[in-house]
Amino acid sequence: MSTATAPTRDSAGRLSALAGSSSIFSKSLRDSRRAIAIAIAFVAFVLLVGAAAVASAFGTVETRQQMVGLATTLPAIFQSMLGPPVALDRLGGLIEWRYQIVLGVLLPVWSILALSGTLAGEADRGSLELLATTAITRRRLALEKLAGHLVSVLIVLAAIALVTWLCGIAFGTLPGDAISPEAAFGYAALTGVLMLAPGGVAFAAAPFLGRGAAAGLAAFVMVASYLVNGFHDSIALFDTMRPLSWYQWTAQHIPLAGRFDWGSIATLATLGVVLLAVGVGAFERRDVGRTIRLPAPHLPGFLLGLREPLGRTLAERLRASTVWGVAIGLYVLVVASTASSLADVLHKVPTLEQMMRFLYPDIDYTSVGGVLQLVFLQFGLIVFGFTAATAVAGWASEESSGRLEVLLSAPMSRVAWFLRSGLGTFLAIAFSAGVVSLATAIGAAGQGSDAGQPARGAFVLALYGLAWAGVGLGVGGLVRSSLAAPTVIVLTVGSFLIELFATALKLPDWVAGLALASHYGRPLVGVWDPVGIVVSLVLAFGGLAVGAWGMTRRDVRG
Amino acid sequence: MTAVIQTEELTKSYGEHRGIIDVDLTVNEGEVFGFLGPNGAGKTTTIRTLLDLIRPTSGRALVFGIASNADPVAIHRRIGYIPGEFTLYDRLTGGQTIQYFANLRGGVDREYQASLIERFDIDPKRRYKELSKGNKQKIGLVIALQHQPELLILDEPTSGLDPLVQQSFFELVREARDGGRTVFLSSHILSEVERTCDRVAIIREGRLVKVASVEGLRDLAHHQVELRFSGEVSAAEFASLPGVSDVSAQDHILRMRVSGPITPVVRAAARYELLDFVSREPTLEETFLAQYGHGHAAAAADAGTTPAGSAS
Repeated sequence: MSTATAPTRDSAGRLSALAGSSSIFSKSLRDSRRAIAIAIAFVAFVLLVGAAAVASAFGTVETRQQMVGLATTLPAIFQSMLGPPVALDRLGGLIEWRYQIVLGVLLPVWSILALSGTLAGEADRGSLELLATTAITRRRLALEKLAGHLVSVLIVLAAIALVTWLCGIAFGTLPGDAISPEAAFGYAALTGVLMLAPGGVAFAAAPFLGRGAAAGLAAFVMVASYLVNGFHDSIALFDTMRPLSWYQWTAQHIPLAGRFDWGSIATLATLGVVLLAVGVGAFERRDVGRTIRLPAPHLPGFLLGLREPLGRTLAERLRASTVWGVAIGLYVLVVASTASSLADVLHKVPTLEQMMRFLYPDIDYTSVGGVLQLVFLQFGLIVFGFTAATAVAGWASEESSGRLEVLLSAPMSRVAWFLRSGLGTFLAIAFSAGVVSLATAIGAAGQGSDAGQPARGAFVLALYGLAWAGVGLGVGGLVRSSLAAPTVIVLTVGSFLIELFATALKLPDWVAGLALASHYGRPLVGVWDPVGIVVSLVLAFGGLAVGAWGMTRRDVRG
Repeated sequence: MTAVIQTEELTKSYGEHRGIIDVDLTVNEGEVFGFLGPNGAGKTTTIRTLLDLIRPTSGRALVFGIASNADPVAIHRRIGYIPGEFTLYDRLTGGQTIQYFANLRGGVDREYQASLIERFDIDPKRRYKELSKGNKQKIGLVIALQHQPELLILDEPTSGLDPLVQQSFFELVREARDGGRTVFLSSHILSEVERTCDRVAIIREGRLVKVASVEGLRDLAHHQVELRFSGEVSAAEFASLPGVSDVSAQDHILRMRVSGPITPVVRAAARYELLDFVSREPTLEETFLAQYGHGHAAAAADAGTTPAGSAS
């Protein structure tokens, strides 16, 4: 009789296991390498360039005092959205006040996508069944997957703390500009719990709803939480709901301004952990890959687009386009509903009214169109860029799923397929803009304002989305369809960052001009810049034509 | 005979990865042509090149006399195709999916379409996403067959189908041939290929290694010989004979493959007390495995024996 000896693993073996694919945890961590690198690059870019911009624009005591004066006279709605203006005479206070929204809303998207898909995505692919039938328990499987993502987040948070601390050293110009390690750590902790909470919602919901619905639910909860906190001063219902918003819980934790509220961080962290535990428990108890089917209206037969690829592409994208349109439209309605209260505030503070007239002489900022132009458009364009990316990703799935191979075996040329499916994608994007336009009209009418002008102006979103979608389709046709959606995302985020930093960094005009959004004029108040319209249409249809040409020259991927 | 498919030194390389190399192939009108090879041998690459889904690095492919990359639409108008792996529209029902592709082609006989749905026992009202792998495959088959094309190009068409549906499918293939149409199919169901195909090509590591009729392919190959003796014999003695390979021994039985004349084996066996002598032609499967050098291992595994030793 022989005795089985358990294999032992030396320290080098353990290290290679951690870096390699010998456990679910290490595989998850390994799969996150690219996401970690992108997140660190994005965070470093935003913080370093943001700090440089702040140091450049507010390098003297006088400019800082002017900023303090301006911020404290801002209407409550702006103060709620940006957070309370604390210690704006210090570099850290300015960075957090100006850029927290970027990290606090965009980074959680990574957690939502990762934690909604870490198990449910494997279930969709069918690989979860193989994993679940290995000699490990389901609980351990879920915990290792979870640990992979949490360690990835911790790596990014460490980078945030380090870069934040370095910002104080590199860009501090006045006394008090140094950022202490405790403040940097506190800032990373805040970002971490703001990622953990929506990620936890996604992870807890995924075993019940599946990947897509769980991600959608988590995104909805996060945005709702943000809006409830940001607009509680203007909307009575939101004021009532405010205690439910985790952005409100952590509103007094402003570490870069020297204000700490560790209790709120601990509370939000506890919520996140509870949600993650719910997710692990649900995964352990429920049938693998079985989800609750949410009731969704079926499209009538004539809307299924069964005649040819243009209609089929539009029909396939219609559901996502509607969801995006309704979500952005709801945000428009919220902003529109604040128009009258904003006007009241401005009338009560004559100096502020004078300043607004000076800064925006051609905008009636008391009208719904004016408020949307000031408060909504910049954010709306970046979100609509993601809408376009979703539509383009759907288009790209025709090839990546192998469907295109069957389609092209029909008597239809590649150019014909490309043009028709591309136009179908454009129509889906325009449909989302149409929904937003409808919401704009409703919001304006509800406030007794002119509905037509802002409703027409909302189609600027379609122009913006079509432009980047056209470039994405061009790259997809020329090189590889899987590159199309990432191209749209890179262009959207890149354009947003240029717009965000170009003026503050006093970059040359041609660099600032690369931001497509700066070429539309003020469409929500009826002032259009033809340059933006022409450039958008050229990018959209030029990209479509280039992509169709490129498609004839390359192999179809199977 | 008219060549429906003709390739001339058809080559496709994927950078460092091998695709296909100098493939010369002719498929004639009205024949069922089997295309065999293990995973990764180049079957799908060849098929995708014929359809202009990928472009040859060198050489050319002609379908109906038309260069595949000159006028692919003209070719596609006359073919039906099912890829080895595919996904269709999750939210459409099976019936809607079939209808969409019928609309793309035009001119589909609704009665024939309905008969295919019935023969494959498809529930056209279920969503594609909810179908099993085999039922999804059936949808793909109807899409390929419904317009009664002159040429069917089928890449692993029976993948995921249960035996009864496989039988229905091969019946349809035979009907297509009887109707004068041409079928080019890759498959791993070698027994069905043997029963259905007129000619077979074997591709290995991107190169065509054999093209012959099914009968011809078997004639060219070895015989499987089994000798039963009353006592011990030396397996090594038989293994050294010309044309003999893969000798295995179990009890007093020797099994071997013999290529070419069988006379040396008969003479050697005559020196012992021989109780039984069985010689049979190999199946297509055995031929196929022999082409890949797996014959020995497979035969040994089947017989539960160890290779070449002495019969004791």
